[in-house]
Amino acid sequence: MTVASAKTGGTLPRWVGYLTKPVLLGLACLALYFWVSGLELDSIEQRELNAANITQRFIEHLELTAAATVAVVVLAVSAGVLLTRPFASRVSSVLVNVANIGQGLPSVGVLALLAIFFGLGFQYALIGLIAYAFLPVLRNTMVGLRQVDSSVIEAGRGMGMSKNAVLFRIELPLAVPIMLAGIRTALVITIGTATLATFIGAGGLGALIETGISLNRTPVLVTGAVLTSVLALFVDWLAGVAEDILRPKGL
Amino acid sequence: MTDNGSRNVGIAKDAPEAMIRLENLSKTFPGQTESAVEDLSMEIPEGEIVVFVGPSGCGKTTTMKMINRIIEPSSGRIFLQGEDVTKVNADKLRRRMGYVIQQIGLFPHKTIADNIATVPMMLGWEKKRVSDRVDELLETVSMDLSYRSRYPKELSGGQRQRIGVARAMAADPPVLLMDEPFGAIDPITRERLQNEFLRLQAEIKKTIVFVTHDIDEAIKMGDRIAILQTKSRIAQFDTPERILTDPANKFVEDFIGAGASIKRLSLSQVRDIKTASWPVAVLSEGSEAVRELMRKSGKDSVLLLDDRRRPKRWVSADDLAHAGRIEEAGWPAVSIVEEGSSLYDVLDTMITSYKGSAIVVDGEGRYEGVVDFDTVLGAINEMRPLEQQRPELAEGAAEQRDRS
Repeated sequence: MTVASAKTGGTLPRWVGYLTKPVLLGLACLALYFWVSGLELDSIEQRELNAANITQRFIEHLELTAAATVAVVVLAVSAGVLLTRPFASRVSSVLVNVANIGQGLPSVGVLALLAIFFGLGFQYALIGLIAYAFLPVLRNTMVGLRQVDSSVIEAGRGMGMSKNAVLFRIELPLAVPIMLAGIRTALVITIGTATLATFIGAGGLGALIETGISLNRTPVLVTGAVLTSVLALFVDWLAGVAEDILRPKGL
Repeated sequence: MTDNGSRNVGIAKDAPEAMIRLENLSKTFPGQTESAVEDLSMEIPEGEIVVFVGPSGCGKTTTMKMINRIIEPSSGRIFLQGEDVTKVNADKLRRRMGYVIQQIGLFPHKTIADNIATVPMMLGWEKKRVSDRVDELLETVSMDLSYRSRYPKELSGGQRQRIGVARAMAADPPVLLMDEPFGAIDPITRERLQNEFLRLQAEIKKTIVFVTHDIDEAIKMGDRIAILQTKSRIAQFDTPERILTDPANKFVEDFIGAGASIKRLSLSQVRDIKTASWPVAVLSEGSEAVRELMRKSGKDSVLLLDDRRRPKRWVSADDLAHAGRIEEAGWPAVSIVEEGSSLYDVLDTMITSYKGSAIVVDGEGRYEGVVDFDTVLGAINEMRPLEQQRPELAEGAAEQRDRS
């Protein structure tokens, strides 16, 4: 959002607008660092708040998010393409409703259920995250494909483009802006939800938050929360830049 | 005309060899009991514009879309250049036919050059050849080469339609299918595009199937007109002249509507009649030369042209005497028609014009002559004896009148 408003902001060059957000996020991290290093930490806090542990939690979190997002994009975009083909017109509304249910379920509950039925670990956390981020991508893919002007498709078919050529060279490129918006939403949701993965042993920044709460260590809790927020906002910013770059010219 | 009778009307009289032949074509859409097109047979001659015209819902668009099999026929056969194309690969078939639709459907994310290059690229042309062809086509549709790298949204409706036509002609297909191509354009631009297109067709001589619901457009554009009734039954398939002078039945008569005689004026172009000569002077020659010219010609006014011989102003002797600068003397020359305009348009312009006459210009806007009421009346008088030389037509028309 800030990216969009910066563009209309006036006289400043565009890259200044692009840089505002990452600079602010960097400042937030610095503030956190100085605050924590000014505190006297006890042994529990020292065990949690050191470079090695934080880096590991951070990487776990990134891995979960990246894996879930890649899987969601592949699955939901394919599903969206299939469901907008003429032969699927009858089943599509049913399947979208199923995806809606996935979105509606409380995420902690889903992760808990997965743990009960399958056990603990990365792959089960992944399933939960995928179920949760699936809908925005699916819905935006379908909306994006459906808003393509039917006369453009007819013109393509009428000139002798095959169905696949029309899909890949016309429909999908024209749906890209809306699809990217869905993927951006899914990314942010996933980063937030991945904090809950710690409850089924998949680690991540949620582990810091959980430790902070259960052992009543505010610095640990704050560090986990701030890092998660910074990560979510930074990825949102990245996705915004990607939207601007990948949007087809001429739209 | 009865159903049985209409089967034979599908073959145009004394037509050149058929480019497209439709044999007993029918279409019933899934889930419907009534057919949209029923047992249609017709031949579309090479190098002509054949217009499908009829009330909405008569199946004219469905019929056209069955030719390139955007809509697959339920039964019947389609021949292109003598070859049965009913079952061949539809995508490859369509690359042999240009396709223009009312909404144009330019690809919004592609540049104008890429849009035009669509079919040549699919056919695997070399880059250089594609690029040359794009330039050639932009010129053909009178668009500047600087539009190459623009996007469709930057163009006006009329410009988009030109690109649509250029794109359809890109791989030089023998056949063009056009579905109400000028339907969504304002009347002035439509008129200009129609004239441009007719001028272009005179050069390229494509076989064109043109769908419209507007009988006036059909008369103007068509070498032959197929007037279609419900389920694409052919009410009459003939030249515009014969349809106007000799409608086959009540349906055709009603569809043509009132004023068939005046519509015949749409069939003659200004270039076919003798324009009157009028004294003209070029602005830069100065007012003295204009005065001299007026004295010699004995007319009450002179038409002034600019350096490129485009009509600018009418001046009378009085105006010359009173106005300071010759560029501001008299009144602007606005009643201008192109050579390709029909007599109908000319008459229309003349009626609203200040002087009761219209200036004829060529494609570049240069002065050609002046038409007034006497000229048009003369042309109408010349048309009449032609009709009397064809007694069978006159009789037919009389018969029609008696019956109704």
